[in-house]
Amino acid sequence: MHPGIIFFLVILGSILFHIFTPWYWTDVASNWGGMDDTITLTFWIGGGVFVAVCLFMVYCVFKFSYKENRKAEYKPEDKKLEKILTWATTIGVVALLAPGLIIWNSYVNVPKNAIEVDVMAWQWGWQYRLPGKDGKLGTTQVVNVNDDNPFGINLDDPYGKDDVMIQSDVLNLENNVPVKILLRSVDVLHNWYVPQFRAKMDAVPGIVTFYWFEPNKTGEFEVLCVEYCGVGHYAMRGGVIVQETQEYNNWLNQQELFSDLIAKREKMEIEKTKLVKK
Amino acid sequence: MSEPKLEGIELKPGFKGMAEDTGSDQTMFKGVHWGKAMMWIFLLSDTFIFSCFLIAYMKGRGSTPVEWPNPSEVFALDAFGVPVPLLLIAIMTFVLITSSGTMALAVKYGYEKNRKMCGWLVLATAIGGLTFVGMQAFEWSKLIHEGVRPWENPFGAPQFGSFFFMITGFHGTHVSIGVIFLFIYAYKVFAGHYDQQKRGWFTSMKGNYVEIEILGLYWHFVDLVWVFIFAFFYLW
Amino acid sequence: MSEDYNDNKTIQAQSSETMGGGGAGVTPDMDYVRPAEIADQDLYHGHSFITKWIFCQDAKVIGVQYFLLATFTGVIGLILSWLMRLQLGFPGAAGFMTAEHYYQFVTMHGMIMVVYFLTALFLGGFGNYLIPLMVGARDMVFPYLNMVSFWSFFVAVAVLMASFFVPGGPTGAGWTLYPPQTILEGTPGSGAGILLMCLSLILFVAGFTMGGLNYLITVLQARTRGMTLMRMPLTVWGIFTATVLAMLAFPALLVGALMMSLDKVLGTSFFMPTILKAGEVLEYGGGSPILFQHLFWFFGHPEVYIVALPAFGIISDLISVHARKNIFGYRMMVWAIVGIGALSFFVWAHHMYVSGMNPWFGFFFATTTLIIAVPTAMKVYNWILTLWRGNIRMNTVMLWCLGFIVTFVNGGITGIFLGNVSVDVPLSDTYFVVAHFHMVMGIAPLMVIMGAIYHWFPLVAGRFLSEKLGKWHFWLTFLGAYSIYFPMHYLGFIGVPRRYFEMYDSPYMTSTVGMNEFISLAAFLVGAAQFILIFNIIKTLKTGKPAGKNPWKANSLEWLTPTVPPEHGNWGDRLPVVHRWPYDFSVPGAKDDYITQTTPPSEVSNTGVEKT
Repeated sequence: MHPGIIFFLVILGSILFHIFTPWYWTDVASNWGGMDDTITLTFWIGGGVFVAVCLFMVYCVFKFSYKENRKAEYKPEDKKLEKILTWATTIGVVALLAPGLIIWNSYVNVPKNAIEVDVMAWQWGWQYRLPGKDGKLGTTQVVNVNDDNPFGINLDDPYGKDDVMIQSDVLNLENNVPVKILLRSVDVLHNWYVPQFRAKMDAVPGIVTFYWFEPNKTGEFEVLCVEYCGVGHYAMRGGVIVQETQEYNNWLNQQELFSDLIAKREKMEIEKTKLVKK
Repeated sequence: MSEPKLEGIELKPGFKGMAEDTGSDQTMFKGVHWGKAMMWIFLLSDTFIFSCFLIAYMKGRGSTPVEWPNPSEVFALDAFGVPVPLLLIAIMTFVLITSSGTMALAVKYGYEKNRKMCGWLVLATAIGGLTFVGMQAFEWSKLIHEGVRPWENPFGAPQFGSFFFMITGFHGTHVSIGVIFLFIYAYKVFAGHYDQQKRGWFTSMKGNYVEIEILGLYWHFVDLVWVFIFAFFYLW
Repeated sequence: MSEDYNDNKTIQAQSSETMGGGGAGVTPDMDYVRPAEIADQDLYHGHSFITKWIFCQDAKVIGVQYFLLATFTGVIGLILSWLMRLQLGFPGAAGFMTAEHYYQFVTMHGMIMVVYFLTALFLGGFGNYLIPLMVGARDMVFPYLNMVSFWSFFVAVAVLMASFFVPGGPTGAGWTLYPPQTILEGTPGSGAGILLMCLSLILFVAGFTMGGLNYLITVLQARTRGMTLMRMPLTVWGIFTATVLAMLAFPALLVGALMMSLDKVLGTSFFMPTILKAGEVLEYGGGSPILFQHLFWFFGHPEVYIVALPAFGIISDLISVHARKNIFGYRMMVWAIVGIGALSFFVWAHHMYVSGMNPWFGFFFATTTLIIAVPTAMKVYNWILTLWRGNIRMNTVMLWCLGFIVTFVNGGITGIFLGNVSVDVPLSDTYFVVAHFHMVMGIAPLMVIMGAIYHWFPLVAGRFLSEKLGKWHFWLTFLGAYSIYFPMHYLGFIGVPRRYFEMYDSPYMTSTVGMNEFISLAAFLVGAAQFILIFNIIKTLKTGKPAGKNPWKANSLEWLTPTVPPEHGNWGDRLPVVHRWPYDFSVPGAKDDYITQTTPPSEVSNTGVEKT
């Protein structure tokens, strides 16, 4: 079989695979559908270039195969053609970069009404904290983290007292409300990612990183850690449940506040001293 | 490789001349010995190493959560009961810059084939370098005695000690290697190896006074790096 | 001792032209080339077995040494990839496969392939053999240093292999070695493993600095008469530019590795912030993990171009020789190589879009990354335009060239997906990235390496490799590798993460089981297919068809040595004199369809050849 045919079949196969593939992105469940659109645009432009270049190559292989008494064309340069190709490529590149940067601009500028959510990562699990009624998260320090204070909240910070503590790896979110995910880690690099939300950012120990999104579909989603963090990396999973407002508020009211935890511990201390005295 | 010939080669001045040289055959840098070109490129690479160190240091210092120690206080020396800030460093800088001066003179006398003067000046450079290393070692032992460690120190941010020892250590190693080569080259000059074009022990290539100039380039580089370290670490 | 040296002071290169500056009454004829600026090179000839084959200073021998050692490490990397695919395709099939082992395989596979196999092969292997020959020199300018550079590489490889045997095993931190995890418990090999890795990398950098000085000065200062920079084959331009990148990028790796070692050994906190582990706050504090990432990727991005640029250069030469046509747009190709090389220093943080670095950097690096796509695209166009109206020999070498074009364009386009910052957000850390870099760094350069082997084997060994076996080798490798990595992109679209030991417990990833099995089987097949080449080489060395001089009818100097294979000193008594670029193929009016670089203008004055 002529090699050109096999190369042609490879290109054709790639196109068919793309059209019929069962593995494609998950249904987007957040506001970042624009990323999908940019990917589609990149497929059209980039894929078009790939197919055009490879088919041109296949054509050359058929048309210009070696003949003893034939000579190739001798043409060291064609400045005009090179100029046209450079400009065409530049335009293609700009067409891709423009939407990409516009979306990135949106990604790094968090809407003012976004609810802050503290996502705390550790080897190898997650826990979450919400700002509570005062709308502000209390400040934390890694050295404060212990059984009595699982989030390391600074005890003298008034904003921390009404923080909602979610000590499971499943977070509930309200549908159609933007959230600003504040990521922090107490040990190594991690990354909180839900494929359906599209957004992600590394959690870096020593600083607080962020990203934001607005869920727009209810349902249950899996959270994956997507920054290698040691042998438990692949097992570091979590969950997100997106609910409508009524259900979400029901859930929220059942969660423990930091002040509740403090009160509980104080009560236990008093009980303990009573026992000792007896 | 013997000195490249410059006869019959017209060197045009300015950028136009450089462009012509670049477009010409055989060599890009006319009349430049291979060893010299090699040393320039090696030093460019070494510059990037020290730049990485210094940029990392600036980033570390800029983002330190704990107060950074005051260099004038930490590096002060007691002279007759009065603490003089940065006294030791000032002396070290003077010694190193002077040794660069003796090195430059050594290169000049080498090309003039004045064996004795060249040899003494290379030796003087070596001794200057050795003095510098000795003073650096003294400074290290003084700070270690005061409790400065790579992982912590009593004066402030723990990164102070780590950057200090790493950067001055790397520089000091460069100086020490230079000192070893300087002593060897001083011996070779006095023994007449460059006059006789005697073949070297390692590479078996013929000796040539250009080697003094090549070592000189390295030595000036080491001096220049010290000026930057001095500025960024001690003065800032 | 004196008979060991080429004291060639009295023998200068000859040609039909005059010597010296030309005195009065001498008219420079059309074949005039400027006289020699420097005396002929003084080479050391070894006489014992050790000085001829072990501690040899002949760049060709050193080139073969690099080639063999790099290939050895590549085979280890290949076996590691089989082990990885065994787990991913058939989890639980191997009893010894724990998560620790898996991550160690992942890390060592990556580091070996990128650094010890590809970089060493292109720069040390091809660079050493081809550069002196292609520029018309007798050897590299510092043969002793060149010899030391190989043995430094040898020690670096030995230290790396030793890390397999230390307590805790080799590091399992991923080839990117990110702190803090790399030096903490919870990551395999966080003890002696990572220290030996850092030591090996530092030794590697030292060795390649020595080698790099050789390659650069030889190209800049030791070309033969008539060889201007714009008459050098693109192979030399590619390796030269890659070496410049290496000299400027390796420092950042050295600094990063050194600082990481100090964090481990001395307890410094360059990269280590406050860390809580197993309920204890560690002694570290105040350091920045992102600082390491900046240092690493300042090295890491130019590193991929250190692999790619020699590949670009070599493929241009392979295509033009076997299509019997000048490379289209040679000057643009040179500027593209230099431009890509320069720009490669300004794009590194596209590996860090989701690292938590300052978000505003994303705008800058996305822009520079997409700018670098333009010169790269120009090169692709010029390769296919070289095929246009060519006279294409469909031999094994050409097949590898065509395979390169398909895989490189594929991999390059997916790079544009990832370079566009907001598109990178959903795709980063997924199998899309894995598919992209394997296609563009693994498969495409591998196509070039294979093509180069089939192309230059007749020069190095004097015989042709079997075309029949070569074609089997090509089709199995190309079709197999393409079927591994093309579908893998789609796993990334679903969101399957990288560096996952197990994934089928997750409901939406169970659909990938079949594809993963297929990919693993294809990987085993493609790996095995490489042994066809080894068999081909051994068979050819015993009974292969002799090639004679310049069997491909190429123009560049390496084919024009007096003996094949070239001997020590390359050129015998007379250095070559160059009159043209190496791409005068199919010149109208010429007797043959090629005109070698040393052919003087007077011999082709009746043809349509252009002045170069």
